[in-house]
This record gives sequence, structure tokens and C-alpha cells, in this order.
Amino acid sequence: MCSGRVDPALILESFLAGADGVFVGACLKGECHYSVGNLMAEGKIEVTKRILRRFGIDPGRLVMRMMSSAQGAKFVEFASAFQDDVAALGPVGSSEGIDAADAKLRLAAARNALADKKLRWVEGKWVEFQEEGNLYGERFTLHELGRMYEEIALDECAIQEIRLRLEGRELSAKELARQVRIPAYRVLRHLADMRRMGLVSVAAVGDGEPVWSSCELEEIPAA
Amino acid sequence: MEELRIGVFICNCGTNIAGFLDATDVSDYSRGLPGVVFSRENLYSCSEAGVSDIKSAIVENKLNRVIVAACTPRTHEPTFRATCEDAGLNPFFFEFVNIREHVSWVHKKEREAATRKARDLVRMAVARAALLEPQTPIEASVIRRAVVIGGGISGLTAARELARKGIDVVLIERERKLGGLVSGLYVLGPVPRDARAYVASLVADVRKDRRIRIMTGATVERIGGYIGSYMVGVRSRGKASEIDCGAIVVATGAVPLKPEGVFGYDGKKVISLFEFQDRLRKGKLRGRRFVMITCAGARDRERIYCSRICCGSAIKDALLVKELDPGSSVHILYRDLMCYGVENEGILRAAKEAGIRFVSYSKDAPPVVEDGVVRVEGDVMGEELAIDADVVVLASPLVADEGASELSKMLKVPLDADRFFLEAHVKLRPIDFATDGIFVCGTARWPATTRECAEQALGAAARASIPLLAGRVEVEPAVAVLGDEDLCRGCGMCAALCPYGAIEIVETDSGEKASMIEVACKGCGTCAATCYMRAITMVHYTDDQLRSQVNVAFEEQATRAGGAVAEPGAAAPTGAGGSK
Ligand SMILES: Cc1cc2nc3c(=O)[nH]c(=O)nc-3n(C[C@H](O)[C@H](O)[C@H](O)COP(=O)(O)OP(=O)(O)OC[C@H]3O[C@@H](n4cnc5c(N)ncnc54)[C@H](O)[C@@H]3O)c2cc1C
Ligand code: SF4
Ligand code: SF4
Repeated sequence: MCSGRVDPALILESFLAGADGVFVGACLKGECHYSVGNLMAEGKIEVTKRILRRFGIDPGRLVMRMMSSAQGAKFVEFASAFQDDVAALGPVGSSEGIDAADAKLRLAAARNALADKKLRWVEGKWVEFQEEGNLYGERFTLHELGRMYEEIALDECAIQEIRLRLEGRELSAKELARQVRIPAYRVLRHLADMRRMGLVSVAAVGDGEPVWSSCELEEIPAA
Repeated sequence: MEELRIGVFICNCGTNIAGFLDATDVSDYSRGLPGVVFSRENLYSCSEAGVSDIKSAIVENKLNRVIVAACTPRTHEPTFRATCEDAGLNPFFFEFVNIREHVSWVHKKEREAATRKARDLVRMAVARAALLEPQTPIEASVIRRAVVIGGGISGLTAARELARKGIDVVLIERERKLGGLVSGLYVLGPVPRDARAYVASLVADVRKDRRIRIMTGATVERIGGYIGSYMVGVRSRGKASEIDCGAIVVATGAVPLKPEGVFGYDGKKVISLFEFQDRLRKGKLRGRRFVMITCAGARDRERIYCSRICCGSAIKDALLVKELDPGSSVHILYRDLMCYGVENEGILRAAKEAGIRFVSYSKDAPPVVEDGVVRVEGDVMGEELAIDADVVVLASPLVADEGASELSKMLKVPLDADRFFLEAHVKLRPIDFATDGIFVCGTARWPATTRECAEQALGAAARASIPLLAGRVEVEPAVAVLGDEDLCRGCGMCAALCPYGAIEIVETDSGEKASMIEVACKGCGTCAATCYMRAITMVHYTDDQLRSQVNVAFEEQATRAGGAVAEPGAAAPTGAGGSK
């Protein structure tokens, strides 16, 4: 299977299935058996690492290494280093200082974000852009694309996490802000958007501060 | 849905597998996995006995999924797929697990851990097998014409051979003349052969053959298509044309390194072996004292590889000099002598008998070339020698042709770290590329003697003639399909990213949609992993199939922690298993 086939969502599925680290092995640059699949993979791994970081999960748990089939010794070196590094990090959450249940929720939110249309679209554009190199010259650099991605990812990740945090629970915006690790004003903005999309609703207005809950999936109006 | 009846066969590979993990345990363990109705060990699954055992087990137990845990699918996946087919089962209901290269060979000192890993891999395969679907190979027709790129010894030989098989050939040569590097050489070794006469006879054969169209002064500008139906865009003497063909042979050769900056190279008194041969041929060689230095510009940090042909060619040239002028002196300074095979051994002996001196030097104390003198610290005697020299000859390596990068991109085939073309597998598929219908031979692939090049050219012609003569080809159906047309938005991202140009955006009744060209698709999966709508399905590697493996990957560890599954027993492997 070409490394280009590795779907970011599948990487997150692996973490959710219990992996503490994920290793993606690819061909050397210029030697890819599928021409440039490894370069595509590189772009995908990069965005996946960014998402992990966003959720407070050590991106070092995801490793991509390039080698040829003739470099057995190199593979051993990479695999052993990966094994040692991941063993040192321990189960997801432990090195990050988050409990197992919270780690699981964050991974699920990351998976949902990566499986969602919006991020996949930008991610595809990212890879496409890398492929085309500096076609756009100085005016639109990879750096800028990265920033744009960050912004979209920031929103998408927050929305996915808010959804999961509100599943079966009612929380105030302030509490959500604490749990999702972003300022309250951003949470409010997301909640407003999400309410418009029919994803959340105000469950009750407590001591002057409303608490929110998620809507059942069926209630989501068709796009 | 019909009931799942999975059969698992654990190969011992003699002691290759069973010697390092508990195969009996893995077999017993498999039987408890969901859907598995049968499991057993084979001594050698791939042997005739093993294969017939699997076949009868399929029939007797009405198996509808077959898993063999053995060696690499590279060699035996076709074997076991055929076994399934013989037993009346769709070959794509077969799943291979590699417990040799991936387990026993790499965990030789960890029997228990290896056994556990084998269990894990088999469990993952069982999960996937449950979701496999029957497939039929994709068929495509093949244009009975080959394009050979490069008109050196290799390209000429390949073209002649293809034409002899009744295949039309277009031979594309960049230079105005055919013959390649050998046209510039004098006498080829190890068995002396007139280089120009060799080229001339090949060129005459090729010119005579009406099936061969020769294009010289021609450059390849564009390549598109896929096995059976490639399009090669050529510009020859200013005129552009397109050639349709079923297969392509790459024979673009290599070039000798001009040893600029090495051992005081000046092109006059310090020259390359290539220039030396040129002088010999033209009778312009002056001087009586010669020092040849091998590995000049080779096996250093920049080019770590051995160019294989230089040592033998230098020895042969030293002998030529001695023949011409028995009173002359020739020293060969070497690091190692790449002098393989009976004939090379023969000329080495002859050279020693003829009084040619061999002095080995070490990489850390390379010879120093001064005006008329070469100083070298002899490795064996340990003393510094000062050797008088009228001419110093540097045996420099063959290096990849500069155009290789561009051509590799057009062909969508890889180069190795030294920019030589990289075959599909160094040992198992040395002449094929991973891309079907494209083959490689000669020094484009790796430095080689003319004889090796000719052998490879015959090999490439033979390989290429399989689809060309059959007129049709079967392609592995593990390709991308638009699984859900409604989801596709026709955005074109997949088409932009496909490394093989296998996707086009077409206008349909329901708007623009992606459309896959089955035979062009190599199944890399880039499109499926990227499509934001998840409209694309990879046949035989669906998201569900991959997810099923990932989801059970850590299952046993969980159970084992709970103590439900016993540690693999330490019992000695039975070895014999179910095989006869
Ligand atoms: C100094 C020296 C001494 C040698 N001595 C010996 C010896 O004694 N015995 C022996 O057996 N071998 C010897 N060799 C090796 C021998 O030269 C090679 O084995 C042989 O040349 C390989 O033939 P080829 O057809 O693969 O490549 P080449 O001879 O390099 O031919 C390749 C051809 O392809 C053409 N080409 C390249 N790129 C393109 C393109 N993009 N489009 C179209 N055409 C293209 C080139 O113009 C060239 O004509 C020696 C080599 C050197 C340098
Ligand atoms: S990327 Fe997906 S949505 Fe876009 S054209 Fe391809 S299949 Fe259709
Ligand atoms: S699987 Fe790869 S080769 Fe096939 S259509 Fe998709 S991107 Fe192209």
C-alpha cells in the first residue's frame, strides 16, 4: 500500500483503537514506487501533526520515515527509535498530562475534524499546492497556506470538540472555553454558528449564564 | 450474505518460520477467531504438497476465504491466488500474511514476542478477509508496437530482438548517430572484441529490419498513457510527432565521468580511461610509462557506488599497451579490484604474467600525481613509491545521464539515489518498472559491461513481448473507482493529484464528475485518501477493510492484560504440520 493511501482519518482511527504511536513508512524522495505518493503522504502527515498539536497531543507520536527496500538497517534504526520514543511517552495522554477519557475524546474530535469535508478540502489543496511547488511564486507562499490552514483548522477542531463535549452534557460557554482551551469569545462565536447549523441549542439559562447542549443528529437540517 | 468460512494456513517454511516462533500456537489461536472454521500448519505451503493440501482443504471445508501466513506476497501471492482459483474460489478472497520477513526473520531471538506478533497479524488478516469481495481482473488491449529509447548496445539489441519476435519497433536516439558509448571505445574486454565492429554489425541488423523505424537526433518530449496504449511525443530534427505503442524500453545508458579535479586531471598527460581508449584507437598514444588509477572519482562521498566496469577495462587496456610495446611499463593503482568472473580472472592473471604491476592504495592515502611522477603509499609494503609516468590514466566511473531525471518524470518511474533508473525490485523484478509496460536495460539501470547490457536487453525484449504478442493484458483490479457518484462534486482535486493522470473530469447529466481510467490507475490510493467528499473507493483496499485491521490490531493485548488468553506455550514446533 502506498503511503499516499494513508488517510489522516485512518491515523486517528489507529490512535482511537489503542495505538500510542503511529509510524508511516514511505519510499525515499524520487524513488517512490508510485511516483510521488510519498510526497502526498508527507503533506498529509504534516497536517495531521498540526491537528494533534491543536488537541494538545504530542505530535511526536506520529512519525513518518522514508527509506528504500534495500535499507534494512535504516528501517531497524527508525523502528527502534520509534519504539523507544513512544515507550517513553507512554499511553496517549500520560505525557500530555491529560486523563485517558479526555484523551479519547480529543482523539475522537481530531478524527472527526480530519474526516470532515472542510479540513479535507484545505488539506487536499495543501498537498496540491506542494505538488505544484512555487507556481504561485512569492505572492502566495507555503507559509501563508500554512497560516490559512491553521485558522480553518482552529475553528474546525474547536467545533468538533465542542460537539463531543456537549454530547449528553450541558455546559456553559465559560466551562467549554476551559475544556476546549480557547478564549470564551471564540466559543461563543462557534456556539452561535453551531446553533445556526442546528448542532447545538441552549438547554437552560441558569444564573444569568446559559448552558448549552448538543442536538440529536437527526435534527441537523439537510445541507 | 453467505456464512463466512475462513481457512487459515500457517506455513513453517521448514524452520525459517517455525524455528523462531510457535507456529502451532498461531494455528490453534487462529481457529478461535471470528469466522475461522479451519486452520492448520504446512511444512512448506508453496510446495506442490502444500498447495494441493490447501486446495483440498478449501473444497472439503467449503472455505470461502483463505489466509496463508507465510512469506512475502511478492513471490507467492500469485501462487496462492491460483490455488484458490483452482479450488473454485475467486482469487481475491485470498489474503496473505507475511510472518517470515515481518516476523521470524526479524525477531529471531524473541520467540514469545514473535509468536504474539504473528497472532496479531493473523487476527488483522482475518478481520480484513471477512470484508473481501470478489474481483475480476481488468483487461485492456495492447498496441503491437514498442518504443525503445536509446540507441546504444542495449537499445539496439532490444530493438533487434523485439523485431525478430514480429513486433514493430520505433528506436529513438538523441544523437545523430546510433551506437552510444561503445562507438567511442576501442577494444572491449574481457574477451577482446572490436568495439566499432560490434556496433556496426548491430546497427546493420537494425537498419535492415523493416519492422524497425529509426529516429535519430530525436528527443522525447512527452509520454502519456498506460500499458498497452502509451503515447510518446518525439521531436526529431525540428519536427514533432506522436507514436502510439504498447510498451516502452528504456535504454538511455550512462556517461563516463570526466574526472575534473581528481588526481590532477588535465586531459593531456592525466586523462580518463575513455580518452585513453580514444588515443589507442586513433594510434595517437605517446609515452612508454603508464600509471592507471582506478576508483578515480568513485566510491567517495559523492559517489559511493562501484562502477563495476572500470577495473576490468583498465586491465584489458594495460594488456593492450603491453602487446603494442612490450618494453613499456604499466602500473595499476587500485583500492579493490572489481574483477569478477572467470574471464576477468583470466586477464588479471595474464596482466600479472605480462609484468603489469598492481599496487593497492587506501582511500585515506590516495596517490599524489605530480609532473611526471605518481607518489603512492603502497598498502601492502607500507613504503612510499615514486613511479615515473608519461601518461596517467584515470579509470573514472559511469555516472547517470543528465537527461535521466527529466525522462524519469515523463515516464513516472523512479531513479535511485545515484540517479540511475530503479527497477521494480532489485532481485525479483530486475528489468521491470513498478509501472506496467515499461522496462529498463543497460547502463541506464546500473553500470554494466556490454555483455551484461545485451543480456538485459534480451530480457527486456522478452518481458515486453509478453503483453505485446498477447495483444491484451490483465491488470490488477486494485484500482480507484468512483464508489459514490452522487457524492462527487467534480472539484478535480483527485485529477490534479493523481500521479498517473488516471482521472479525468467529465460532464454527466448530474454535472461534472470524476471518471477513472482503470488501466492507467496504479492503485496508489492518493485520490481516495484526499477526496474531501470520500466519493472514491479503493477496490480491494477499502476504508472499511483498512479500518477493520486497525481496529483489531490491539485487541489481543487488551484481552491478554485481562488474563483471558494464555501466553503462547513453549512447546517445540511440530514442524510437520498438515503437509505431506
Ligand atoms: C571507459 C570505458 C570503458 C569501457 N570498457 C568496456 C569494456 O572493455 N567491455 C565492456 O563490455 N564494456 C565496457 N564499457 C561499458 C560500455 O560502454 C557499456 O556497457 C555500454 O556503453 C552500455 O550500452 P548502453 O546501450 O546501455 O548505453 P550507452 O552506450 O550509453 O547508450 C545509450 C544511448 O542512449 C542515448 N540516449 C540517452 N538519453 C536519451 C534520451 N533521453 N533520448 C534518446 N536517446 C537517449 C545516448 O545518446 C546513447 O546513444 C566501458 C565503458 C567506459 C566508459
Ligand atoms: S476529489 Fe472527490 S469530489 Fe473532487 S472530483 Fe475527485 S472524486 Fe469528485
Ligand atoms: S489510485 Fe492513484 S493512480 Fe489510481 S486514480 Fe487514484 S491517484 Fe490515480
